[in-house]
Amino acid sequence: MRLKLKTVFVLYFMVSLMGLVYALMQLGQRCDCTEHDLPKDRTISRLRGELHRLEEQMKKVEATKSPHQAPKSTLPTIFVITPTYSRFVQKAELTRLSQTFLHVPQLHWVLVEDSPHKTPLVVGLLADSGLAYTHLHTATPKERKLQDGDPSWLKPRGAEQRNEGLRWLREDRRAPQGADSQQGVVYFADDDNTYSIQLFQEMRSTQRVSVWPVGLVGGMRYERPVVEGGKVVRFHTGWRPSRPFPLDMAGFAVSLKTVLANPDACFDGNAPMGFLESSFLQGVVTMEELEPRADNCSKVLVWHTRTEKPKMKREDALQAQGLGSDNAVEV
Amino acid sequence: MVTNRDFVTLLLIALPWSLLIWHLSNGNHTDLYWKGTPDRRNRSRPASGDPSSPREGCTPWGRAAAAGAGGGIVEAVRTEYVYSRPPPWSAALAPLYVITATFQRAVQKAELTRMANTFLHVANLHWVVIEDARNTSALVRRLLKATGLNYTHLHLETPRVLRMTGSYPRGGIQKNLGLRWLRLTMGEAPPGVVYFADDDNVYSLQLFEEMRSTTMVSVWPVGFIAGRKYESPKINAQGKVCGWVTGFAPNRPFAIDMAGFAVNLKLLIRKSEVVFKLRDVKSGYQETNLLSALVSLSDLEPKADNCTKVLVWHTRTERPTLVNEGQRGFSNPEVEV
Repeated sequence: MRLKLKTVFVLYFMVSLMGLVYALMQLGQRCDCTEHDLPKDRTISRLRGELHRLEEQMKKVEATKSPHQAPKSTLPTIFVITPTYSRFVQKAELTRLSQTFLHVPQLHWVLVEDSPHKTPLVVGLLADSGLAYTHLHTATPKERKLQDGDPSWLKPRGAEQRNEGLRWLREDRRAPQGADSQQGVVYFADDDNTYSIQLFQEMRSTQRVSVWPVGLVGGMRYERPVVEGGKVVRFHTGWRPSRPFPLDMAGFAVSLKTVLANPDACFDGNAPMGFLESSFLQGVVTMEELEPRADNCSKVLVWHTRTEKPKMKREDALQAQGLGSDNAVEV
Repeated sequence: MVTNRDFVTLLLIALPWSLLIWHLSNGNHTDLYWKGTPDRRNRSRPASGDPSSPREGCTPWGRAAAAGAGGGIVEAVRTEYVYSRPPPWSAALAPLYVITATFQRAVQKAELTRMANTFLHVANLHWVVIEDARNTSALVRRLLKATGLNYTHLHLETPRVLRMTGSYPRGGIQKNLGLRWLRLTMGEAPPGVVYFADDDNVYSLQLFEEMRSTTMVSVWPVGFIAGRKYESPKINAQGKVCGWVTGFAPNRPFAIDMAGFAVNLKLLIRKSEVVFKLRDVKSGYQETNLLSALVSLSDLEPKADNCTKVLVWHTRTERPTLVNEGQRGFSNPEVEV
């Protein structure tokens, strides 16, 4: 049989026309793109599963948290009073301090700046820290301030700021109602020391004044009260042991009740070097009444570290050339 | 009878159709395939309440445990969140391997304590601590165990000949041991980011989240380094690193501090021969030696808001004067400080 060309062409023409019409109908329609979404689908479903698992965990934690942890009102708040002043390493020091404090439940950070007004650096840092805080400021009078060349031991530092913190506790604090308003512990924490988390657990049960060893202070590996029969009998220190309380600021905590019961107890900014702590504690407690912590004062849970002043030699040289660090960048 | 003309006709007719069919089968290969297997598509979308996918919970810890990581391996799922414990391990986040070389001195315990306090806030962090000592010390062992972090505790004493060399960058051989451990333990292509953290710096928590998305090497500014307020990579208009803002030897190919960069683990494993140079290292060139073998300048990923924020500070802790120790010498050596 011979293939008629005419029929073939007609057939071809009809089939092509139908195909074209079909394609035109499909144009603009939603396409089924699921095959391209497959790897994305897989990721989404995996993450959804992950999210669900974490949500389950969270629910479990919420359920177990309350019975395991003491309800908020009965865990005494630790008020940590930290004097701070503006210098290069301030932001770094406060950052790592806040990272430690975040691990302590019921902690209230009272940060007192040595400044006539609140600085934006500290305002921002406190807001981002995630801690409960109170931001205060008071400027040290000029004659009591250390000048640039002075060695750090020349004048006691932070007395005015700590007093301001105490004043806030006594006068301005809006305490929760009831008997719990007097529950609490006050600790004076400098911003360059190193604190372990256990320290705060130890101090929480302070009735009057509790004490413990401090590492790397007083020219020794550690300084500590010597405990015999559960009571402090003397102090192991390498520097002026004849002081009424040869302790470091980081080595004691006072109960809020004691602070409120002694409204005149404060730090004497004119006290000779090393007597700052004594000026506060003298009117408040006697050595016999001190409560030893940290395993009868045998463990070091806080270290009197100091941070080096960063060298800015090149900075000064570059500033002169106009190539210094951008001052808009907060360091 | 089929003539030549018919043959040609048939060929001309068949040619475009065969082209079309060939094109379809090549280009939309999967289209045809998936359309034909609807079951497969549905199976890829398990019910959202199904937590059973076993691979998700798997981490490379099984191997790590065997490599002598001590008791530091934390189970993948924590059912109770307590203050001062790390966040639950999440398979959705890239793990961070922080390599810290440490050595015994008075402030060691304090430094490691506050570093641990920082790391306890970071999810999926594995701390590789390498002591410059003949044996692991009880102090560090106890400290690491008490933190509850994921850790690996190694030790390697710097050979005397290296210690005496002036050009030896401190901690170099310990960091190399950390790299070696990672390469031996982590397998072929594990997810993860490696960061070298010295024990006296200050790290903000945001830094760790910034480095998690590193695909090759990411960089950011570091505060208080090279005699300046901060050192930073220079970023051009396209968002790429084009130079360095630094006060010390700005001609270095990578004028950056150890704390200013993080490397993707896969890159380190792929280039398994790259380690820190230990001899004849020019001052400040330790980072350059490592990075130039790993990436080129254009591969660097700027973090910290296009390198405009300082999230890590190169602080140094003063050496405590222990003068009264010598005079009286009655500090009980058994008390750990």
